[in-house]
Amino acid sequence: MAKEFPVPPVVFTPSTPTHRRHPPPGTGPSPPPAFAPPRPSTSSGANPLPFMSFDVGNAATSSSPPLFAGPIGVGGSGASFEDEPPLLEELGINTRQIWRKTLSILHPLRSADPSLHADADLSGPFLFLLSFGLFQLLAGKFHFGIVLGWVTVASLFLYFVFSMLSGGRRGDLDLYRCVSLVGYCMLPMVIFSAISLFLPRGGGLIFGVGMGFVLWSTRVCTRLLAELASSGDEHRGLIAYACWLVYMLFSLLVVF
Amino acid sequence: MYNNYGNSPGMQMPPIGQMPPAAGQMPSANPQPGQFGNPFYGASSGLIKTGLGAYGEKFLGSSSEFMQSNINRYFSNPQYYFHVNDQYVRNKLKVILFPFLHRGHWTRISEPVGGRLSYKPPIYDINAPDLYIPFMAFGSFIILAGFTLGFMGKFTPEAINLQFSRGLIGWALQIVILKGLLYSMGGGEVPLLDLVAYGGYLFAGLSLAVISRLLWAYSYFVMMPWMSLCMGVFLVRTMKRVLFTEMRSSERHSTRQHYFLLFLAISQFPLFFWLGNIGA
Repeated sequence: MAKEFPVPPVVFTPSTPTHRRHPPPGTGPSPPPAFAPPRPSTSSGANPLPFMSFDVGNAATSSSPPLFAGPIGVGGSGASFEDEPPLLEELGINTRQIWRKTLSILHPLRSADPSLHADADLSGPFLFLLSFGLFQLLAGKFHFGIVLGWVTVASLFLYFVFSMLSGGRRGDLDLYRCVSLVGYCMLPMVIFSAISLFLPRGGGLIFGVGMGFVLWSTRVCTRLLAELASSGDEHRGLIAYACWLVYMLFSLLVVF
Repeated sequence: MYNNYGNSPGMQMPPIGQMPPAAGQMPSANPQPGQFGNPFYGASSGLIKTGLGAYGEKFLGSSSEFMQSNINRYFSNPQYYFHVNDQYVRNKLKVILFPFLHRGHWTRISEPVGGRLSYKPPIYDINAPDLYIPFMAFGSFIILAGFTLGFMGKFTPEAINLQFSRGLIGWALQIVILKGLLYSMGGGEVPLLDLVAYGGYLFAGLSLAVISRLLWAYSYFVMMPWMSLCMGVFLVRTMKRVLFTEMRSSERHSTRQHYFLLFLAISQFPLFFWLGNIGA
């Protein structure tokens, strides 16, 4: 047995269509186009839905309070933004330590402190290599990729040679630390690439200055490698030659 | 539930731990190898399992021993070749660059280790091959090639990479020549790293020739043949000693051996001139 539902009668009141594309002929002025936005209503009572209206004042007063009223980045924990650690610290970049390492290498007469470089990082080396590339760019040479590639190969070369020379007793030296050392000891070469911008090309002066900076880099790198790895002292001369080759290679990029 | 693992022909009852999980049960985190995990499952007797297992074990054991012995024979321990110091490097460079002045013997010093003879490392024996000098000489050659290109106005990082590739090809060619010589003479038991070391010594002479070229351009035409000759003499004397220790006494002084050694000495000239022709 089917149950009957009372349906209210629907009354269609005929009215002139407002959004017809082609109005019938003789209907007077053409209506606004279909893509035109509706005009804002003058009375707030006429438009019960404030978000549909373009009346900003009405919409603002009648809308609900904002959902994200708390501080940014706090997922309801109640902690404040000030408690967050600095971004560099979160990324593991210790700027103070990088600065201390840089200063330890910068002094050409005083020996670099190996205990500082025991904690390796790649942020400082990357910064130095970037600045080396930038100075080369100022000299009209685009060597960013070359520098990064050569540093990687040079680090592998030094690590292999040193690990073989030390006969397995590598001490604290691993590949990551080796890349870090090679990168930090590039600092004199970065200074040389900056100075070379003001030196005449092809003269004897640039070769003399270059050799000085290469020896500086070699001395620092050799000392750090020998100190960080056990039994490094007996092979200091052999390690020094390998380091000298590496930094001579980078001096070629600057000189020519 | 019924136990459907009856003693049907060709089937064995798996152990209790290997029973498959019932429907709806999760298999254990560490299931025992069951019907599909055990390759010998379903064999009617343990004969195949034990027989094949023993054979496989013996085969794998012998093959691993064979591989190990071959690796030791042909590649040896790379750290042996880096057992050097400053004094050894200086003396060895004198022997390589001026082999005529080497007054001592050319044979390697051996010592008994664990009931068998083995050669002393380079630090104790001037005639032992090392890999430190070849590596550093190769690096020096690349740097000097860079300087040569720079003075010629042809320096680019790509040119350095090209020189690096050329150097490696030259080194490989030298190894092939040495290996071919030993193979043709029947003394093929020399470790590969020995040949890599002997082949790499050519970069020491080559570096000296390139330095002389940088200092005075015309000296190249004197130094290059001289260094080729020195390298030829060094390799002939070294290979003669290698062949002397490897071969039987009846074959030691054959004419064929002398011809091969002469070919080795002559082959240094084109190799040196090809590698030394930087920027061409």
